[in-house]
Amino acid sequence: MQQLFSAFGIDWRLLGAQAVNFGVVLVALWYFLYRPVLRTLEKRQKVIAQGVADAAEARELLAGVDQEANTRVKNADVKAESIISAARAAAGAEKAKLLKEAEDRAAAVGRDAEMRAAEAAAHARRESERDIARLAILAAEKVMKQNHD
Amino acid sequence: MHSGITVVLKAEQLGSVFGFPITNSLLMAWAVMALLIGFSFFFGRSLALVPGKLQAGVEWAFEGALAYMAEVLESEELARRFFPLIASVFLFIAFVNELEFFPGVGSFGLLHAGNFLPLLRAPTTDLNFTLALAMISFFTIEITGIAALGFFKYAGKYVNLSSPIGFVVGLIEFMSNLGRLISFSFRLFGNIFAGEVLVLVAGYFLPYFLPAPLMAFEMFIGLVQALVFAMLTLFFIKLAIMEPHEAH
Repeated sequence: MQQLFSAFGIDWRLLGAQAVNFGVVLVALWYFLYRPVLRTLEKRQKVIAQGVADAAEARELLAGVDQEANTRVKNADVKAESIISAARAAAGAEKAKLLKEAEDRAAAVGRDAEMRAAEAAAHARRESERDIARLAILAAEKVMKQNHD
Repeated sequence: MHSGITVVLKAEQLGSVFGFPITNSLLMAWAVMALLIGFSFFFGRSLALVPGKLQAGVEWAFEGALAYMAEVLESEELARRFFPLIASVFLFIAFVNELEFFPGVGSFGLLHAGNFLPLLRAPTTDLNFTLALAMISFFTIEITGIAALGFFKYAGKYVNLSSPIGFVVGLIEFMSNLGRLISFSFRLFGNIFAGEVLVLVAGYFLPYFLPAPLMAFEMFIGLVQALVFAMLTLFFIKLAIMEPHEAH
């Protein structure tokens, strides 16, 4: 065995030194290479996962906003229709009221005109009667005067 | 100094510090460590949430490795726990094996008593390095198995007294488990060392033409061997944490 060790140059001190060399490499690579690289990979994975989660959240938010907008538009449609129908009803009522007022006013104007016409006719009749009476008096006076002469 | 092919099975000692031998494979291990740690230091500080090409490539490799480990271990938590070990085994061996064929490695050296001593030698061609990694993998596997199943349940995989056949199977399991130390270390050492010798021989017999394609092939083999070492560690961890009746 000693001959074999001697032929291959096996020396426990060198063996230990090479083992220590490997240990140093292992620790140094772990500290300077593996740990930073694996941390970077983890960090990137976290960033990507966060991005995916944010995108999903934004999609959900967008879908919610769409739904909200649709609901609001639908509500606005219903409200607008009710406002329009209420306005139509109010306009109809106002129109009927205005028509009635106009008709009443027209009737009042008509009545007033009729009354004035009747009064004018009565007045004219009275004036005519007075004129006729005066003429009759004058004619009578004239006849009486002629008879007298 | 003699000409011809010189194959040295063990790493050459360049000197010693307080009686501690400094070999060329140890020197290259330190150089590779400095490169790896330096790269990690600057790369780790330049990470951004929007990655560049290099960062995207590294992240792709990490995510792929983690996903594969989670699939094999059937647990994301275990995959994350063992990822540093498996990745470090792969990176350290792969860097060592790739840098082995870079200019300067094996060609710069010292002359000592008429012999050429290269300053740098791939640690994977030194059994001390491969055995050290094999022992780290072995103990990680065993400790993980004991931690996952409990000592007696884990030992029950190897000591089965319910029947003679069960006892023999347990014994074979135990021997094959111990054999991993040898197979782990000698597979890596043998492949890389043989590749180096092959390139050396090719350079001797047909210089200028043959070594370059062989070097490219050996660089590929180096990557494969790094992957094999890392994957076997992963698979043996999975076997260790499986319940005894599941493991067979």
